[in-house]
Amino acid sequence: MSDAELRLGAVAYHPRIVTIWERFRTYFADAGVPTDYILFSNYERLVDAVLEGTVDIGWNTNTAYVALDHRAAGKGSGEGGEGGTRILGMRDVDRDWATVLAMRKGRKPGSVAELTGHVLALGSRDSGHAAILPPYYLAREGLDVASCRLLRFDTDLGKHGDTGDSELHVVRAVAEGEADAGALSAAYFSAFRAESVPAVADLEIVWRSPDYYHCNFTALDSLDRELSDRWSRALLAMDYDDPSLRPAMDLEGVRRWYPGDREGYASLQTAMREQALLS
Amino acid sequence: MTVGPEQPAHRVDAEHLELGGGLEVLLAAAVERVAPGGVLEIRTPSRPVALELLGWARLAGHEPIDQISRPDGHVVRIRRGASTRILAESLPPRETGPPLRNGELHTADWRYGALPPEPDPRAGFAPLRAVPETRASTHHWQLNRRDKVWADDIGELVDQASGQQWDASRDIPWQAAHGLDDTTERAVAQVMTFLAQNEYAALYVPAGFLPQVNPQLVELVLWLSSHVHDEARHIEVFTKRSLAGGHHGYALASTELSLSSLLDEHDFTASSLLLNVLGEGTFLDLLRFIETHAPDAATATAARLAHRDERRHVHFGISNIKRSVSIDPDAAEPLVTAAENRAAKLVSLSGLSPVLVEALTIMAARSLQPADLSDAATDVRALMRTMERNRLRRLQACGFDAATARHLSDLHTPNLM
Repeated sequence: MSDAELRLGAVAYHPRIVTIWERFRTYFADAGVPTDYILFSNYERLVDAVLEGTVDIGWNTNTAYVALDHRAAGKGSGEGGEGGTRILGMRDVDRDWATVLAMRKGRKPGSVAELTGHVLALGSRDSGHAAILPPYYLAREGLDVASCRLLRFDTDLGKHGDTGDSELHVVRAVAEGEADAGALSAAYFSAFRAESVPAVADLEIVWRSPDYYHCNFTALDSLDRELSDRWSRALLAMDYDDPSLRPAMDLEGVRRWYPGDREGYASLQTAMREQALLS
Repeated sequence: MTVGPEQPAHRVDAEHLELGGGLEVLLAAAVERVAPGGVLEIRTPSRPVALELLGWARLAGHEPIDQISRPDGHVVRIRRGASTRILAESLPPRETGPPLRNGELHTADWRYGALPPEPDPRAGFAPLRAVPETRASTHHWQLNRRDKVWADDIGELVDQASGQQWDASRDIPWQAAHGLDDTTERAVAQVMTFLAQNEYAALYVPAGFLPQVNPQLVELVLWLSSHVHDEARHIEVFTKRSLAGGHHGYALASTELSLSSLLDEHDFTASSLLLNVLGEGTFLDLLRFIETHAPDAATATAARLAHRDERRHVHFGISNIKRSVSIDPDAAEPLVTAAENRAAKLVSLSGLSPVLVEALTIMAARSLQPADLSDAATDVRALMRTMERNRLRRLQACGFDAATARHLSDLHTPNLM
């Protein structure tokens, strides 16, 4: 039985999600905003749940957020962008997410445009950073994406690239010569490097996209403002130097929470519209 | 000079280093030279490295500011994150290491200053002088109070235990165990079986306390570990000797009952009294008797080597109780109560098992000839007197007055251990 004021939905892309949210659930209760969590197997179901009111807050990827915002348009008052949703917070790492292009060392082109006609590896097709945004940005860098052979790794669909599995396939494909270049998030590339993943040993980054936003906590505009403000304040007060919180925050990949805004989602919104991913 | 918000507090030239190839080590050291919120400027001739540094910075908890390409290379600026990398107090400045004695580093000399009465349980398995990272949950160490478990010379005892290790497979002249007549060998097998059976309890008791000890009482951890290891070897050597001649003995129910009551005692100091001082103390005299009267060199050597170990265990017990009683005179009473409680559980035992007395006598006589048996029986009776006399002496060394020592000695199990 739960006396939670708020129900939060998250996608269980890894068993650690339970560890994270068990700790955060206690934290929000202590902070005076009792929050229960409900786990979903994919972001599409989570977006449905936010729209249907099964959960009050969705812990969304950027792809899920843009889809939710699009579908919610007209349902709420709208505060900008497509409207209908409210962003309650995001991680420090979500504010300067970026896509990078990795190639085998020494094969770097003078410009991205020189990759025209080559093989480009992409991650899961629902991943903003590893599949949707790369063609968007690379086309604006002068690459004729249509001329490239796209090697897609559509693994863990529904998880929007959270697991990193498709990005591991991307770097392996590049390392083994199946692809000339591969797109993945800067965060995963750095994580693979830090973990000494063999495939990245002989890879280097030849291009980095402009920064954009990644995940955020999204609610519908219809959520009580006082309650959502109280929840956001509690989120932002989470202290990484609290030894009881640090392990869960490390698992979530956050050192500090920030209030969110829509600014950093414009590129993905356009890309998804261009690629007919918004219905 | 006031450093502006975007002015680098420190600059580092990566030269040809790459991430994954040592650059991250240079950067970790460079970041330490910048205060939280301050700016670190990194120069690299490589554009791929510069691009990758932005992702590295975020992963390492810093904020990438910008990346600028210039004719002479690339510059990446990052702002050091506010959070500490390790949630802990700062490491102490370099100190002079522990003193050496003739080039040797002794356990008694490795502490700086006195051990606190109640060492911090949150330090967990942090080795001496290490700075523990703060953790949310900590293990509850039941043995956390120094004065309850300590012995003043524990450091020396630990070093002795390390220095006096031996090998039950190779250090015993096993060939000498072959060839005894049936009667003598059967007696030896019974005595060895009795010893091995008792040594199990001598192992299980310290082993049970070991995981309860706050690791900051590291000398005690090492000591109990050596005690456990010693007893494992005693089980091994006496079992091997019981097997070597082909005969086998009985594992007596009276012994089992006596030993199970040792396992029931959960107080560390009370256990020191019952096991180390009374039990192992009494065994010292038994082992000396066996060494002296052994019919073969294998038995004699096993008894001699085990005796050397048991002396340390008895020494610790006396030292521990003496310290405990001298600090808190009221500590004596619960120790007496523990001995009384154990005796109450053993009321069904009356005297040393005849099976063991007979085996000791035959082993010493090496025959069933009346004259030999008479001498041996005299020696066994003398052993019992020696055991009692030495038990009283050890109890008084613990700090008990003569009357209490007599009371405790009288309460001691007829099973010897």
